[in-house]
Amino acid sequence: MSAIFTVDPRSGVPLYLQVIEQVKRHVALGSLAPGEQLPTVKALALDLTINPNTVARAYRDLERDGVIETSPGRGSFVSSNGSSANAHRAIDDVADSILNNAIREVKNLGLDRAQVTATFERQLDRWFPIGEQK
Amino acid sequence: MNATQTIPVAITDFTKRYGAQEAVSNLTLDIERGSICGLLGPNGSGKTTTFKCLLGFARPTSGSMAIEGAPLTPATFEYLGYVPERSALYEWMTGAQHLEFNRRTFKSYDPKRAAELVDLFKVDLKKRVGKLSKGQHTALAIVLAFSTRPRILILDEPASGLDPMFQRAVLDLIIEAAANGATVVFSSHQIGQVERAADRVAILKNGKLIVDGTVDSLKGSEKIVEAIFDQMIPDLNGLAVDPRISRIVRSGRILRAYVNHDSEGVARRINELAPKNVSILDLSLEDIFINAVGDVAAASPNGDR
Repeated sequence: MSAIFTVDPRSGVPLYLQVIEQVKRHVALGSLAPGEQLPTVKALALDLTINPNTVARAYRDLERDGVIETSPGRGSFVSSNGSSANAHRAIDDVADSILNNAIREVKNLGLDRAQVTATFERQLDRWFPIGEQK
Repeated sequence: MNATQTIPVAITDFTKRYGAQEAVSNLTLDIERGSICGLLGPNGSGKTTTFKCLLGFARPTSGSMAIEGAPLTPATFEYLGYVPERSALYEWMTGAQHLEFNRRTFKSYDPKRAAELVDLFKVDLKKRVGKLSKGQHTALAIVLAFSTRPRILILDEPASGLDPMFQRAVLDLIIEAAANGATVVFSSHQIGQVERAADRVAILKNGKLIVDGTVDSLKGSEKIVEAIFDQMIPDLNGLAVDPRISRIVRSGRILRAYVNHDSEGVARRINELAPKNVSILDLSLEDIFINAVGDVAAASPNGDR
């Protein structure tokens, strides 16, 4: 289990949000399967060399969002209840956050909505060529 | 009061004066149980004075320091581990003699734990302290601080002189202790260590507390709003006295506002000046530190105040 997550403490993004994003990403990709056990707060804090309260906060938020379940004394597990719905929501969350950052940066370059749309469609055509529906 | 309700480390309206010089002024800081608080500040900001008074090496001029709700007594050190800035080790004693001294002094001393730590930091116990390198000296102090499995740790520069591997080992010890419920206050010049290990950060400047908050909330609120203009930067319309903005730097046609909260609101306001574009930039803890302690006049020669 160790070292499947990575965080960048120097980033301006709060560490607990980075941990949440990492867990969601692994759930979305299936590298964390429904019912699979997550590291304990202490183990993950030591593994990433970050504050235990930061990890605990991330786990609390993930539990609130239904991504993980914690049972006292046993630990935290990827939710198995409605797990495919959770995995889909996790995929949506991660995709949202990636596109949000990309569009924000492109907007910062000074492009207007029409220019961003044109750029986006050009990239869509590259990655999803017409005739190859997927 | 039981131990869960008491604040483990409470500093209340603490002032320390040396003659006419005020080293620390009216510092109030409560460290919650299980928290790791990183104390940051440039040299001479009052960090070491605060640590000295916390550990009983000096007396506050006014105000109070309480460990587990009470003033320091020799018995406190059964559960308080510390590394002072200037060594409290005896130059003429060997490492082994220091361990033996602690074994006799503290009921909580755990010889197995001490042996593990000696092994981890490769401390040569046969050498006299006076013959140890700076790093080995620090390592021995760390071994002594952690060998009682203390529930409170007060560490002034606990990684100074250590190589990067041992520095990481010290961070791991701090994190492990906090995960087991210990409360930690530590200082470091390496802001990256505080950024990793601390959930709370307090920044001192000239003896005054100028920033206090969780690392995550500071990163969430402290931002740079950057605007690029086509032409000259227009009149700033009182932006310089906006309480959300701690300083403004102009460089050519770029305007940067260092914002302490509500970056979105500041971005909207700057947008009214019709720049070519406005963006909100994230800050690392180092950026936040430099911004907080930086000499405003020197850092922004074109600043608006």
